[in-house]
Amino acid sequence: MANQTETQVELRPVSMEQHHKVSCFLAREYRLLDEEKFDEWLALMHEDVHYWMPGIENRRRENLLEHGFYASDHMAYFDDKLRDLQRRVARFQQPSAWAENPGTRNVHQVSNIEVYYGETDGEYLVHSVFQSVRSRGMDEEYVIYGRRTDVLVEEGGSFKLKKRLILIPNATLSCKNINTFL
Amino acid sequence: MSNIIKTVDVTDSLENLSEFCDIENGRISGKIFSDKAIYEQELEKIFARCWLFVAHESQIPKTGDYITTTMGEDEVIVVRQKDGGIKVFLNACPHRGNKVCFAESGSTRGFICNYHGWSFNTAGNLVGQHESGIYEASDFDKSKWGLKEVAQVDSWKGLVFATFDPEAPTLKEYLGPMTWYLDALFDNQEGGTEFAGGCIRSTYECNWKIAAENFVGDILHAGWTHDSAARAMLGGAVAKVSDFEESYSVNWNGHGYEFALDTVGNVAVLGESALNKYVHTIKPSVAERLGEFRSNMVASVSSCTIFPNFSFLAGQNTIRVWQPRGPNKIELFSWVLVNKSAPDDIKEKWRKGAMMTFSPTGVFEMDDGENWEYCTKTSKGKVTGAQDLYIGLGMNTLERQTDLPGNVYKGQLNEANARAYYQHWYDHLNAKSWSEIPDRNVGKAEVE
Ligand code: FES
Ligand SMILES: [Fe+2]
Repeated sequence: MANQTETQVELRPVSMEQHHKVSCFLAREYRLLDEEKFDEWLALMHEDVHYWMPGIENRRRENLLEHGFYASDHMAYFDDKLRDLQRRVARFQQPSAWAENPGTRNVHQVSNIEVYYGETDGEYLVHSVFQSVRSRGMDEEYVIYGRRTDVLVEEGGSFKLKKRLILIPNATLSCKNINTFL
Repeated sequence: MSNIIKTVDVTDSLENLSEFCDIENGRISGKIFSDKAIYEQELEKIFARCWLFVAHESQIPKTGDYITTTMGEDEVIVVRQKDGGIKVFLNACPHRGNKVCFAESGSTRGFICNYHGWSFNTAGNLVGQHESGIYEASDFDKSKWGLKEVAQVDSWKGLVFATFDPEAPTLKEYLGPMTWYLDALFDNQEGGTEFAGGCIRSTYECNWKIAAENFVGDILHAGWTHDSAARAMLGGAVAKVSDFEESYSVNWNGHGYEFALDTVGNVAVLGESALNKYVHTIKPSVAERLGEFRSNMVASVSSCTIFPNFSFLAGQNTIRVWQPRGPNKIELFSWVLVNKSAPDDIKEKWRKGAMMTFSPTGVFEMDDGENWEYCTKTSKGKVTGAQDLYIGLGMNTLERQTDLPGNVYKGQLNEANARAYYQHWYDHLNAKSWSEIPDRNVGKAEVE
């Protein structure tokens, strides 16, 4: 049993052109994070966004949780609504965020993108794999890999992120924090 | 019982130990955060000796429920017994030492070793082996080769502690009058507390003591370190602790609790008005149960460490153990605590709020980690590590006229708890056994 991602019963892939549009959206979203354009990044969030990164629990196959290695009512790195994301951004933007000065240098990468039609018109179900590399100070380096399942909504020619599920393979995070978004 | 664990031989104390710690003069040495010889002594004289937090009862409610954790660097299994008791075993097979339980939690009828198939029931007894016939031919005595059982296990208000040392005082004695204060969080309502599901584990490149010390009595850092998080969550600075009319630092046997009496200062930073309201709503019943004084502590500006490495924040309800992984590294195991009797939406808000503030993604925790790592890293410098560090705030603040239990110091902006913590640390490293540890408590052991 692997980490379960959210999948629909019948997956209907979108056209190449639509796939390209979604890929560009995801790439741009990550560039905004790398460039610390947090307000522009927040503007990509749907007003009802659920941004969720559950804790991963190392359980035996006969003792699995609601979703295998994670459960919706257990501890989570992120279990956020828009208000919570805004608060996180507000901390990054304080001049007194001492640990962000000198700043963290980020490279976010996204690949393995699959795009399907979502449950309702204008919604898309997107699977992807990400890599986040952060460096701080002179020599700190942290790499986080994971898999994501997004629900995007098409609005006025662009997309809004309505749901994000972030799954890392690690039951123990190998660094002290996640001072970025994934 | 042959399956009770063998204690480790106690080596001599370091000859130069007194160089590292001069509490009377408010000095410690940076070296205690990175010296390898000191760390080896700590594993033996603190982690193989003291009572260590291993689980909350609510994590293993039913027979066969288990969690795995560590005591120091030793891996252990904590498992609920048929009779409702709890046993703690080394998570190592007595045949060749392979780990027997690889999951972090679950429910089972026993543990089977992957290597040669030794099979243990939840009471730790060896009940079978692959190719059992050849063992019989070797006159093998199964009863002697069960999982090794930790010397003492006991629990207090849902918190399960264990010690490798059969000579350790009882848990009750170990905690002493600190339990009176712990009640403010762990026993403020009928039914007690429980953990939310899961355990978040993260890794810091820091010494375990710098984190434990932060919680034992360093509210001083909060107003400065956490300014950005407070502004993000509250829209303004954190409460100015020096403005509080009444606040305390209390310690006993190296444990320490620093607190104000502002009822909701800690919970407020979760930014959920429903939680503040909940605390105010239960306050009259807390006052009835624990008295007026402690009803002001349920979620007030406060922090606590139970020696050596169990810490919590009442209000944020983050519960944590700083697991030592070498002099320069810890694994932080953290959980979220809620009152069992709290409404579901309140529990849910606490689960999210605790993570939002104190977890690897927590807006408060992020600034702590950075500080602790660099306190540790600088101490690796040969010359830097040999320098004295100042730990002298509040030298003359002992309250001699008080009815409060424990060693009571006036004001929470005070390094009295940190001093008591390092003094107790020193006393352990200086002692070959419990009997050699001096009693430095000056306050009341009991509540009058
Ligand atoms: S090591 Fe466990 S059965 Fe041999
Ligand atoms: Fe802090």
